[in-house]
Amino acid sequence: MAHDGPHIVPKSVLLKVFGALIVLTGLTVGVAYVPLGPLTVPVALGIAGMKATLVVLFFMHLKYDNPVNALTFTIGTIFVLVFVTITLLDTAFRGDLGNVNAQTVQEIQAEEERAQQRQDAIPADSLRIAPSDYPDQNRGASMESDGGS
Amino acid sequence: MATETAPAPTETEAEHDPRPEHLEHHFVSSEQQFDSAKLGMWVFLITEVLLFSGMFVAYAVFRQWNPDVFAAASGTLNQTMGALNTVVLLTSSLTVAFSIHAIKQDKVKQCIYYLLGTLGLAGGFMVVKYFEYTAKFEHGVFPGGAFDPHGAHYEHLADMAMAPQFFSIYFVMTGIHGVHVVIGMIVIGALAIMAWRGSFSSEWYTPVELTGLYWHLVDIVWIFLFPLLYLI
Amino acid sequence: MSTTTQNAPVEQAGPHEEETNYLNHETSIWSWLTTKDHKRIGVLYCISLATVFLVAGVLALLMRAELSAPDETLMANDTYNQVFTMHGILMVFLFLVPSIPAILGNFVLPLQIGAKDVAFPRLNLASWYVYLAGAVLTVTALLTGGVDTGWTFYTPYSSSTGGGVLWMTSAIFVAGFANIFTGLNFIVTIHKMRAPGMTWNRLPLFVWGMYATSIVQVLATPVIGITMVLLILEQTLQIGIFDPALGGDPVLFQHFFWFYSHPAVYIMILPAFGILSELIATFSRSRIFGYRAIALSSVAIAMLGFLVWGHHMFVSGQSAISSIVFSLITYLIGIPSGIKVFNWVATLYKGSIWLQTPMLYALGFLFMFTIGGFTGIMVGVLSVDVHLHDTYYVVGHFHYVMMGGSVVALLGGMHYWWPKITGRMYNETLAKIAAGLVFVGFNLTFFPQLVLGSRGMPRRYANYAERFTGLHELSTVGSQILGLGLFLILGYALWSLAYGEKAPANPWGAATLEWTNTTAVPIHHNFERTPLVTRGPYDFHLADEVFGGGDGEALRDDVPQIPEPAPSAPSEKETAESTRA
Repeated sequence: MAHDGPHIVPKSVLLKVFGALIVLTGLTVGVAYVPLGPLTVPVALGIAGMKATLVVLFFMHLKYDNPVNALTFTIGTIFVLVFVTITLLDTAFRGDLGNVNAQTVQEIQAEEERAQQRQDAIPADSLRIAPSDYPDQNRGASMESDGGS
Repeated sequence: MATETAPAPTETEAEHDPRPEHLEHHFVSSEQQFDSAKLGMWVFLITEVLLFSGMFVAYAVFRQWNPDVFAAASGTLNQTMGALNTVVLLTSSLTVAFSIHAIKQDKVKQCIYYLLGTLGLAGGFMVVKYFEYTAKFEHGVFPGGAFDPHGAHYEHLADMAMAPQFFSIYFVMTGIHGVHVVIGMIVIGALAIMAWRGSFSSEWYTPVELTGLYWHLVDIVWIFLFPLLYLI
Repeated sequence: MSTTTQNAPVEQAGPHEEETNYLNHETSIWSWLTTKDHKRIGVLYCISLATVFLVAGVLALLMRAELSAPDETLMANDTYNQVFTMHGILMVFLFLVPSIPAILGNFVLPLQIGAKDVAFPRLNLASWYVYLAGAVLTVTALLTGGVDTGWTFYTPYSSSTGGGVLWMTSAIFVAGFANIFTGLNFIVTIHKMRAPGMTWNRLPLFVWGMYATSIVQVLATPVIGITMVLLILEQTLQIGIFDPALGGDPVLFQHFFWFYSHPAVYIMILPAFGILSELIATFSRSRIFGYRAIALSSVAIAMLGFLVWGHHMFVSGQSAISSIVFSLITYLIGIPSGIKVFNWVATLYKGSIWLQTPMLYALGFLFMFTIGGFTGIMVGVLSVDVHLHDTYYVVGHFHYVMMGGSVVALLGGMHYWWPKITGRMYNETLAKIAAGLVFVGFNLTFFPQLVLGSRGMPRRYANYAERFTGLHELSTVGSQILGLGLFLILGYALWSLAYGEKAPANPWGAATLEWTNTTAVPIHHNFERTPLVTRGPYDFHLADEVFGGGDGEALRDDVPQIPEPAPSAPSEKETAESTRA
């Protein structure tokens, strides 16, 4: 190669990195048996991230390489994070809007109005005689159960 | 991604006068050619990263929705085999790094041995994967529609609504990763043959370097797959 | 350095009457099919893409004809569904996404940075064959029952309907590789193959546009690849990621799809921005205003473009918090786009404007892209979008960006570089008429659609309510005028190949390397000697000394065949050698 003296990572460094990778593999297996609760995923990803960083920096020479290559790889990684994060921003909060409903706003308002009117139309408890004085079944049912308890 | 194919048994040391055989007409210098090839490979690698990212997103979404099912389904995977395969792949990464180390110092024979070692380890990985897959298939654990778990270790999965999703993601992720391993094995085999024919030297070893980068990336993907699928 | 100058003139046949150039140094069909020359690959792509554009354009004319009356006129509803689906798929995936990079990028980019070729010529040729493979799969999809899912392939319909969907998704998967190869090639070429003296601040803005485009192509395309793979697996193995009947989530598919397809919009428009900068600078003969702002805003758009995909999904049922975030970031995109438009207008100010055909397209672009951009902001508003979603307003909006932006810029660019590509001049009068027809036809087609949409006309329907008839008729007439203009262009382009006047080396008096440092038709290796760049791409006052042209004088005064291209810095040849060594 015409480029003067390619950088050679010494074998000892490669072996040390390999040792560290094996140790981290053991660690991640060991940690899996420890109940960490909500930290389980972050810890597993953290260890995997450390291993990946070691591979990228030493096995793939990025530590000694042209910074453009490092920039390329970093941008790629950032966009993976963007993809995951923003998608989770939807899926983790799906249905977060309180008034999301099968009914439209007008329908809900109309229903509330109707309920109000019915409320007005219903005679006072003491005056109820016939079943037709209980037009709203649910309301009637809940009142009965209240009375039973 | 073989951007340089011309197998040039080049011995020329001269900086200028005769253009080395491996140097293509549109490049000014070997250095420019090597740097271009390497940047090209890195760009290719980020396309690979983003390809896998789609599956990681699917995993993240479904895991976040069904953490318990995923934990239970993950428990049925064979952790010993997964850990063994992790070590096998890490070792193959080391041997690939050694083969580049060797060729940079013109130790062609060593380079071939390390390449063959990598090939063997990659083969070992696929064998372990084969036993894992068949063990699952025997108990009716298939991806998607054919999912029908039975047998002592797997019965409880039948009652879990989202268990098929875990195994779909498991099989797609490890399957596509496996395809990458097989492609890597073919390329590494071809490299070993080329090295044996004397194509590479410390003057020109671009394909070895690029394949090394590719192989390390395959390793990195597994580094993430292993804990996510097998451990948690 | 010395070696390159020795190698370059190999193809030169000496001072014969017939100049040897990239078109005639080899002429067999086989030499074209196996060429690794970026210029020839650009021409191959041009022929393939023109074919696709013709087919997809005729489909559009058929759709408009069907819509000329409220009821069924020309085709059954099912046929209409297939026609608009194929129009969308062909235009987006097989025409617009590859168009400018594959044709003009391939041809012009290495010339503009003073390189002999792209970094990976073999990969470049492979890209064209992969693209053809994608086209073959598309035809297979048509023969196996067609596709009527719309170009977006939304699940669960796409994962449960049969027909050609499987083939079509494989076609998109395969064609994606062609784009990745092109993008990868350009990134490396721009980083590593620039001529001595071609610093990042001296890159022509077309190159900057291509650079930003390539980043998007490389980052986004793999995601559509995996999406299509998952969709195929969903159909064949029922893996249940997207199909709600199997426990999947259809909105997740939309996330996957738009993570690619929204940035793909920028794959289509960023190269158009690049062309615009070239045209506006050259034809107003003034240094581009805010060079760095234009260059960096391209990169900013490329990056921001990845953060807004959810604005296609406001009514999909995604979480409100993500809708709000997506809507906010969508407004931000307006900033770099606005910067560009302001800078172009500022470049025109006090320039000596020369209204040749490419410039007419450039001015048309400014008008139509501005409408496209503003309507885009409007559909980016969360509450407004709920009303406008899936109406003709959206159809009008993206046609203003895609057709009024990308295609018009491509037409301008094709006219601009036509002399360099073919060595012939087109007929200026006919070209101006055609440009007028395209402008009038386009606006007549799509402006009524904006009105239709705001009045509630939904997209993708073959029939419609009576009250929309008038505007639909207007739109159909517009489409016919537009089609007439485009066929006129095809006609005089083919005519000029055979009978056109021979083009001089620099008919427009442009200052970038592909005009100043090459012969009328570039030679096989582009430059006789590697150029040494000593000035910026729009320093007309410096460039004039070299080629002695300006304001169209070059067109009349220059001898059609320049015996030898003027090197950019003849006295500094020695410097070039020392720089390189």
